[in-house]
Amino acid sequence: MSTQMTDTTNQTIEHILMPRDRIPVMGPRTILKEALELMGEHRLGMACIVDEDDKLIGIFTDGDLRRLLLRSQKPLSALFADDIIRHARTEFSTVRNDVSIAEATRLLEVREIWDLPVVDENEHLIGLVHLHPALRALMAG
Amino acid sequence: MIPKVITVGGGDVREVKIGGLEPLAFLGGPCAIETRDHAMMMAERIGEICDRLDIPWIYKSCYDKDCRSSSGSFHGLGLEDGLQILSDIRSATKLPIMSDFSDAAWAQPTGEVVDMIQVPAYLCRQTHILRAAGETGKAVHLKKGQFMSPWNMKNSARKIEATGNEQILLTDRGTFFGYNMLVNDYRNFPIMAETGYPVCFDATHSVQLPTSMGNISGGQREFIPYLVRAAAACGINALFMEVHDDPDNALSDANTVLDIKYLENVLAQAKAAHAMRLELLEQWGEDCVHPDD
Repeated sequence: MSTQMTDTTNQTIEHILMPRDRIPVMGPRTILKEALELMGEHRLGMACIVDEDDKLIGIFTDGDLRRLLLRSQKPLSALFADDIIRHARTEFSTVRNDVSIAEATRLLEVREIWDLPVVDENEHLIGLVHLHPALRALMAG
Repeated sequence: MIPKVITVGGGDVREVKIGGLEPLAFLGGPCAIETRDHAMMMAERIGEICDRLDIPWIYKSCYDKDCRSSSGSFHGLGLEDGLQILSDIRSATKLPIMSDFSDAAWAQPTGEVVDMIQVPAYLCRQTHILRAAGETGKAVHLKKGQFMSPWNMKNSARKIEATGNEQILLTDRGTFFGYNMLVNDYRNFPIMAETGYPVCFDATHSVQLPTSMGNISGGQREFIPYLVRAAAACGINALFMEVHDDPDNALSDANTVLDIKYLENVLAQAKAAHAMRLELLEQWGEDCVHPDD
């Protein structure tokens, strides 16, 4: 590994952070159909669900959707009308924004996920680390 | 899910609580206000039965029947006369009163008289109507349209919630099964209860055969007791039935209104089935079979 590479990987994820306006953020009572639309508009496979105090309380991913479609026996029209929180995962990994790009990338790799929500000390959502920008930063190094 | 409790009436009239682990509430009366004397007489006679059975109830009757099959059918006494009669019944009997409205402009004057305002099933997704109902500040009786899925009623409830009003009762009154025919899908109760609001079964409209007789609706009243017992056991919080002392000559919904001579029989069984449901709930807990499906 080159010195230059090491320098880049020591940078914090602030350099590659996707801010909130670039990721799908929604309230718990957003219906599944609207959640999928927001994920499509932002071209991301993950939605972040926040409560009234802006605290991150759940995530919902493309993988969750695949598993839901295979498991659910509801009519699609009923599934579309469900509140997103009903199908969201409430146990999930997050990182703080002082974590290095290398460490965040390692977490993405170890946990076999594409996205890591970034929260502050009060669990308020700041943004997202997405695998592609993290890899680009490492490769640029 | 055990739904929230909503409160109807109180103050200068009796208070009726619907939802939670409260006893079954009854919403009933003649479909239309026919005359002052008839409306008052029905309030007194139904009241005697409900008092005897110790069933909390809300008197229901309407001043305008806008959903009649024919323009030649009785349309109602109208807003002004109708509300005056309802107001007088409320004062005389101390009963909470419910009536519906089919024009958004009627919501405010109706809300000044009634304790619970009803949104007709055919209008259950009309934003102006729902907003007007919510803005009265009174509890809202929201009937699921015969054409609506139970899960889509959440949209209607949220239109009411947007006014700040979270006193909502959701009712099933049958679902279209082809033309001129309704069926009851009892999955509707737990699905609508997912909103967190109490749910109600409208027995008399459920046995309706909509406009099956050319220019009026038919009905199979003989099935009312069966459907009521099943609904009460399923887990409703309130029961709605239109009642008349002379169904053959009722001016509205003659083929579906329950003859008052059967009311005590039906209500007593409904109350017993509901009480049994509460006992089962206490013994076995909430229904949680495959909760993630």
